[in-house]
Parts: sequence; C-alpha cells; structure tokens
Amino acid sequence: MPFFEQLAGNLVYGAILGSVYGLSTMGLSLIFGVLRIVNVGHGPFIMLGAFTAFWMFTLFGIAPVVSISVALVLGLALGFVIFFAVIRRLINAPELSTLLATFAIGIFLEEIAKFMWGPDHRGYSWDIGDIDIGITLIPYSKILAFISSIIIAYLLYMWFQKTKLGAAIRAVVEDSGGAAACGINVGRIYALSFAIGIGLTVASGVLVTLFVPVGINPYMGHEYTLKAFVIAVLGGLASPWGAFYAGFIFGLIENGSYTLLGLIPGVEPFSLTRFVAFSLLLVILLIKPTGLLGGENK
Amino acid sequence: MLKVEGLESGYGTMQVLWGADLEVKKGTITTVLGPNGAGKSTLLNTIFGLVKPWNGRIILNGEDVTFDPPHDKVEKGLTIVLEGRHLFPSMTVRENLILGAYTDRAMEKLESSLELVYSLFPVLKERAEQMAGTLSGGEQQMLAIARSLMTNPDIVLMDEPSQGLAPKLVMEVFDTITKLKNEGLTILLVEQNVFASLEISDYAYVLNEGRIVLGGTIDEVKDSEEIKKVYLGL
Repeated sequence: MPFFEQLAGNLVYGAILGSVYGLSTMGLSLIFGVLRIVNVGHGPFIMLGAFTAFWMFTLFGIAPVVSISVALVLGLALGFVIFFAVIRRLINAPELSTLLATFAIGIFLEEIAKFMWGPDHRGYSWDIGDIDIGITLIPYSKILAFISSIIIAYLLYMWFQKTKLGAAIRAVVEDSGGAAACGINVGRIYALSFAIGIGLTVASGVLVTLFVPVGINPYMGHEYTLKAFVIAVLGGLASPWGAFYAGFIFGLIENGSYTLLGLIPGVEPFSLTRFVAFSLLLVILLIKPTGLLGGENK
Repeated sequence: MLKVEGLESGYGTMQVLWGADLEVKKGTITTVLGPNGAGKSTLLNTIFGLVKPWNGRIILNGEDVTFDPPHDKVEKGLTIVLEGRHLFPSMTVRENLILGAYTDRAMEKLESSLELVYSLFPVLKERAEQMAGTLSGGEQQMLAIARSLMTNPDIVLMDEPSQGLAPKLVMEVFDTITKLKNEGLTILLVEQNVFASLEISDYAYVLNEGRIVLGGTIDEVKDSEEIKKVYLGL
C-alpha cells in the first residue's frame, strides 16, 4: 500500500517538524501569557537563530545542535536589551502601541540582517546520515532536532514547576496584582520572561534550518510568524506547554493533508496544505474558542 | 506605624486622591469609609504602590516608602488583600500560600506562618491540594487573607474583604479580621459594609471626593454630622 506508507512517512515527518513548530511558538505564548503583549515581530527572531546556525556552521564548523545554546544565550541577551529599551515602556499601554512597536522591532531586525548579510537565500547541509524506519528514511539531523526540542521544552517545564522563580512567573501569568501582593517583583518577572521567550524563539530558529536546506534569508521569518499565531491560538494562547503540543498537531495536520491533497488530480498540494491547516483552525475555534488545550482565558 | 500625608494620585490625567491624610496605629483596626467612587480602593492601591503616588508622603515604621515598588513594601512588612481576591486559580491552595511567603522576610517564618494560617482557617488545610479556583467564594476570601498573612506582615491593607459574600460569611470574615488583630496585626480596612466595619474598628476615617473629611475614634465618627452628610446627604 504505497499510499499508506506515504501517509505514515509524512505523519512521522510531521511530528518531527511539529516539535520544532512547538518550540518556536513557546516563546510567543510565554511573552503573551506574562506581559499580555503579542509579539508580531516573532518571525525575525527565528531568522536570527537561523543565521546563527548558518554562520556557526560555515565559519567554525560547529554543529547546529551545539549552536542551540549559543542562540539561546544570544536570544536571552537580545531579549533583555529589547525589554529595557522598548517593551518596559509599553506595559499596560494600549494594544496598538505594543503591536506597532513589536512590528517595528521585527522590521528593524530584518533590515539589519539584510544590511549585514544581503538578501540572498543561503543554506548549508549538515549530513550525518539517515535512519531507515521501515516506511521512510529520516536524516539523523532531523531526529536530533526532534529530541532537542523535546528536551528543551521538558527542561523549561521542570524549571517552571520546581523552582521559586518558575513559580513566580506562573503566578504573574495567573494574576499580576496577586503576585505583587505576595512580594514578587513583577517588573523583573516581565523582563526575565520576555528574555526567555526571545531566547527560546532564537534557539528554535537554529532547528528550523535543518528543515529549510536553502531557505535562510532575512525575510524567512514571516511564514513562521503566521504559523506561530495559529499554533499559539490552538494551544490556548497563554500556555507555552499548550503551544508545544499544538505544534505537534499543526505539524501532523500540515503534513498529513499534504499526502491526502496529492490524491486529488490537478491540485498543487503544497499551497493547499496551509488552506487545510487554517480551515481546521477556524473549525476548532468555532467549537472551542479558548483553543484546543486552552484553559480559562479571560 | 503607617502615616499618610497629603497623598495625591490618579489614573492618566484623572486625579482621584486630592491630598489624603491618615494615620494607622500599631495593633489597631482602622477603617476608611466613604461612598462609591470616593477613592477608597485608589487610596489603598496607592499606599501599596500599584498606583503611583503623584504627591504626598507614605511613612511606614518611620521610614519614607512613598515611591517604593510593591515588592519592597512587602519586604518591609506591608501587604494588601486586593478587591476581588486575585488568587492564582489554577494553582493549589498550598501553592498559593507558599507563594505568599516569597520574600526573604516571609521565608524565614514559612513554617510558623503556615501553622498560624492553618489554625485560623482549618478548611484550607483540608483543601490544601485542591485548585484555588475550585473553592467557594467564602473559602477563596479566606485564602486571600491567608496568603497575605504568609508574607509575615506588620500591617495588612484590606480592600472590600466581604464583597460578594453571603451574610453569614460576611460575619465570618469580620470575626477573622478581629482574630488577626488579636494576633497582633495592624489592619487598614476599606469596606462598603459600614455598620459591620464600625463594629470591629478602633479608628475610622471618612473619605469623600478624594479627601479625608473626618477622622477619629469610632465613637467620634459614628455620632458625627459629617458621616450623615456623606452617606445620607443630610
């Protein structure tokens, strides 16, 4: 049954890609959950991660899995800088101001990237062999991306659950006034959460390069901004863990529908997968407006 | 213990407090009375620092804390029970209480605070592993008060603690506040429920249109002309 083999293969691939989607959306959800700010400049941070991976690999021969930590540190630093330069002034500001500001930050990063590295599409190939899982061949590099995503998400989850600072962030997400009454420095939690959110996003950009062989360019982020919004809504918007699971679901739907659409004659499946994914989003939101895994969003 | 002088604040360009003065003595319950919109909640939120003071001074234990952010005030022994409880609904009762002991000041006393809280509110011990959001209204109010005690405070600001509760529970909340006073706590209370709060208080102030128009011991305030004017428009 070649069709089922193809479908199964695509679903496996979808799950792997989904883990990266999930990781790339966690930062967006974390920032929204804590600061109630929608970072519409989300994609360009993924682009920065992709360039980090590219330069680390081509200049120093450093494997992308190692670059993740470099990107995380860069992202954290950048997150703090942007928070204290811009975001700090926008807490409790009207939505239009925060949307404009984060949009502007995104464009600013893109143009800096274009200025420094040019508008060309770049890519690199990190070939460390494939594994045959019976139905399809999967490159080890993608399996490493899958494992890295899960490890990072799990470590972050444990940090949130087991540490005092993690508990303080959860408290601010649930009720910032209540957190202040407990003596939590809410301003510091805002800064930290924003930095972690950007750090995660930049780190996920490293993993994205393992799925776009020649797609690294200053404007590559847009696609991920769009997908991240869908995934974040699916996951209930304010929950990084919801976003991670929703990433899987999105990856499965996107890749599963690719196989199914290929059966219809005269249809170009690639452009339609997004149609299917977004239609499904609409249906899910009609049935459960708080998102698939969403709790009590006020 | 707490002294407020000429406090002014507001939101955006709208001024709400126009120079409020009051003093809270150690070990007493002091009530701020006033009609809706008088600025009672704004007064407490400004003292705590959630609303920035525009002018005036706030002195806590002899130290000027006017522009201290809220978390510094908690470290110095001041906390607030906000109007509408502001719990962490998808955390357990226990987690809510532990978060109350977030500051260094509170961490030192974590065990004894927990013991005190559980002895005051046995129901919270029974429901320690239950999500705070699943508690009844009365239990949530108890948890909000309990969480404020976990900060190991000298003085607690309470904003409408009896709001939205059934009459029987309202009396329970007022009994609790009296018990807290007997434990040595100082309380600054804002209440809609005038008669019950006068019943338990030692001092009272009347706030009207952002200004303190009257202050004194309970007996002085109770029989004054001012309070009739403010509440009854006489």
